[in-house]
Amino acid sequence: MGLTGLEIFKQLPKTNCKDCGQPTCLAFAMQLASGKASLDQCPHVSDAAKEALDSASAPPVALVKIGKGDKELQLGNETVLFRHDKRFEHPTGIAITVNDNDSDIAGKVAAINKLVFDRVGQIHKVNLVAVNNASGDAAKFAEAVKTVQDSADFALVLMTEDATAMEKALEVAGENAPLICGANAANFDAMLALAKKYDAPLVVKGADLNELAALVEKAGYKKLILDSGAREVNKVLADQTQIRRQALKKFRPFGYPTITFADNPDPIQAIVDAGVYIAKYAGIVVLNTADPADVLPLITLRLNIYTDPQKPIAVESKLYEVGTPGPDAPVFVTTNFSLTYFCVQGDVEAGRISAYIMPVDTDGISVLTGWAAGKFTPEKITEMLNSCGVADKVSHKKLIIPGGVAVLSGKLQELSGWEVLVGPRESAGIPSFIKQRWNA
Amino acid sequence: SITPTEPLFKKIKLQLLEPSLDDHVDDMSRLYSELNKMAEVDSPCIDLEIIQKLPQTVRKGNWKVTVSLADIKGRTEIVNIEPGWDYKKYYGLALDIGTTTVVAHLVDLESGESLGVEGTYNKQAVFGDDVISRIIYAVEHKKGLEQMQTTIITTINELIDNLVEGSHVDHNDIWYITCAANTTMTHLFLGIDPEYIRLEPYVPAFNSINPITAADLSIKANPKARIYCLPGIASYVGGDITAGVEVTGIDKQDDINLFIDVGTNGEMVLGNSEWLVACACSAGPAFEGGGIAYGMRAMDGAIEHIRVTPGTLDVYWETVGNKKPVGICGSGLIDCISTLREAGVIDRTGNFLPLPANERVQIIDGEKLFILVPAEESGTGTDITISQTDIKDLIRSKAAVFAGVQTMLKTVGLPVEAIERVYIAGGFGRYINLHDAINIGMFPDLPLERYKYIGNSSVKGAKMALLSKEARREAEKLAEKITYIELSIGNDFMEEFVSALFIPHTNVDLFPSINQACN
Repeated sequence: MGLTGLEIFKQLPKTNCKDCGQPTCLAFAMQLASGKASLDQCPHVSDAAKEALDSASAPPVALVKIGKGDKELQLGNETVLFRHDKRFEHPTGIAITVNDNDSDIAGKVAAINKLVFDRVGQIHKVNLVAVNNASGDAAKFAEAVKTVQDSADFALVLMTEDATAMEKALEVAGENAPLICGANAANFDAMLALAKKYDAPLVVKGADLNELAALVEKAGYKKLILDSGAREVNKVLADQTQIRRQALKKFRPFGYPTITFADNPDPIQAIVDAGVYIAKYAGIVVLNTADPADVLPLITLRLNIYTDPQKPIAVESKLYEVGTPGPDAPVFVTTNFSLTYFCVQGDVEAGRISAYIMPVDTDGISVLTGWAAGKFTPEKITEMLNSCGVADKVSHKKLIIPGGVAVLSGKLQELSGWEVLVGPRESAGIPSFIKQRWNA
Repeated sequence: SITPTEPLFKKIKLQLLEPSLDDHVDDMSRLYSELNKMAEVDSPCIDLEIIQKLPQTVRKGNWKVTVSLADIKGRTEIVNIEPGWDYKKYYGLALDIGTTTVVAHLVDLESGESLGVEGTYNKQAVFGDDVISRIIYAVEHKKGLEQMQTTIITTINELIDNLVEGSHVDHNDIWYITCAANTTMTHLFLGIDPEYIRLEPYVPAFNSINPITAADLSIKANPKARIYCLPGIASYVGGDITAGVEVTGIDKQDDINLFIDVGTNGEMVLGNSEWLVACACSAGPAFEGGGIAYGMRAMDGAIEHIRVTPGTLDVYWETVGNKKPVGICGSGLIDCISTLREAGVIDRTGNFLPLPANERVQIIDGEKLFILVPAEESGTGTDITISQTDIKDLIRSKAAVFAGVQTMLKTVGLPVEAIERVYIAGGFGRYINLHDAINIGMFPDLPLERYKYIGNSSVKGAKMALLSKEARREAEKLAEKITYIELSIGNDFMEEFVSALFIPHTNVDLFPSINQACN
């Protein structure tokens, strides 16, 4: 495991000079520990400390780069077994296979280039094209590599265990640092020599974990991707887990990203397998399909799994329905802090009230905290009133706000044009409040 | 009491050499060289006004003078020169400007004794009970800030009036004032815009400021008296907390200690001589009686201890001053949760359990409540009750305190057992029944002897700084050194908070002593 903030702090100059942009040395050390700052932001750290920290904070999984320029894909630097412990750093690279004996290689690459999806306002795509020497012919392989390289928007994985074919392919694509896939016990020296010659990343495949560790030790090369040789999903899962676990314990031979293959002939099974690999530590998952319907769920899963979990616990800020609200149903305003929202929702439900609940986006903080920090304001409530469509669903213009922020009522009424009712301070009082005060 | 080794203000007697034809050094140099010899003061600051009167003053006293020296963050200023050695006594004021109460000590700067202590409510309360409402008032009302500043100055001046009257001291003989307050209070006191304290990323205008004069703020002391505010750390951890750390001295010990100010803001500091971290957990006013239907401060008639007998649900209570009960104060509320849980009235989430009919448990206006004191026994003529809502409020407050402690420990990667000593501060602190506080999961389950009450550490720290330049220097260094943890960033605090919304906690392993008692 990495160093704690306190351990790093002991090596810092303790001047609290603020030159790093943090108010104290300890604050800086804590940022370093969580990987949110880098040591060179401190101009005063001694060389001895730098050395001690660099070696001790070296990531348990090495950072490996595939491809060059804007096609470059970074993998590794992972530090945890479970995302909630900190976060997963580099999303799994998705590679789509193209066989060198395909009739329409350019067409298939064009289809891969189109695997670009818009998820929550961001663009997400596949990352690699894997050229497979299915023909077994070196010349044909090199030719396919050339075609793919010329048309693909992504970095390449060169898949052959034949060193001669690999050599030919590298003559075409070597300078762009493709992933050489790969070395095994039989072709090890030749493949390693090629990787070194082109300074390209290399997949090392062992017959099992023991052989894999031995081969990595023998390699004496740092740009490696690991393949435990397993192909059945249960075995891959076991090996992936073991590799990550050992890497975190600083077992150096396993301190590299991994590659996995989801090549089950049943496309649905293949996608399910790939899902397992994305969730369980795979650096790369290689797919045989370029069907958008197959790739989209994986892209989505990857986005979700690799999301930074250090964010407030919030519900989506949108209009919610409890029961079967009609046009005369009450509208409750609250914040999108999940604890707050579920209190309100629970109490509304317990009172058998059909209603709308409108949780305003306060970055996941509670009503009073949101009010204190200026995030639960009449402006923001009005904005949500106007944008969430509640006006079309109810026939009245009455809004119930939490009793704790009664002070907002005047300005909110003025801004929104809705009649503002101040509800009880506690959501537990909602049922009796509705009984006594609500008539739409 | 503190020995005034190096007060921020002192008068010293000097015998200057009489000038002659062989020694015709100017008056000021004559004064300075003697000052340097006797008090090791090098190149002091001095006002023109004093120099203007200097030739007369030194001769009037026949070359004997009394010089008044004030410390301005390490530099010495000559604030007054009197002829002769027959000087008037001089005093200082140590102030704690709390959100709710303001406390002042009138201190004899020669003996270090407090001649009088006065406390009163902060009159700013009419603009809001908590710092947030006051910031909003100051920002959103025309002249709001000015109003707020005038109000606190009026509050302080009234305290000074009472103190000088009681001690027969002249306003003009108060020469130095130190003040410990939270960041918002300091801003409002000095008339500095507090708007951005509450807005992300929560930045105050300043943490540390040079002393200003009493005349600048119309404080009723010598117009030249200096006012020094103890340095703050961040938006919600102010000079009052720096003062608390100074008083506990946790920054001087190798052991890891925890300081908790159990108040509305719930500030706490963890650390030792090497490092210190601080946070504010916003516990809310529940333990000060705020927001609780029958909650009150620990005054006469407040229930401070209470026991409910399992089964019969008979209630035994003790009140402050043995008066008829009129409400329930912080310690009583902690007891109350603890005993209601033990008596099986509420479950671990604070919800009332279904019970056989008993006149103590009632539903009024749709809400369940427990009658602590029936109307005929109370001092108010009405039932004193605790409701479901009150209980939930208290559980949230205690959860915030515990979650603050856990989050700080987690941030530095230490287990709770690493804490050698816990200092509990706050006016209400000394009424806490520790056993019950641990029982409900408010404080960590550490041996009771590790806990220590220190009362109002804010005013104590202000007094320390007043009487010792060293303490003042240390406070400055301390404030620079303390690392503020912003609890609203990341999930740690929220997760800890949610886990602590149980009695005593979701993870009972954190409370081994209670766990044992149950088995």
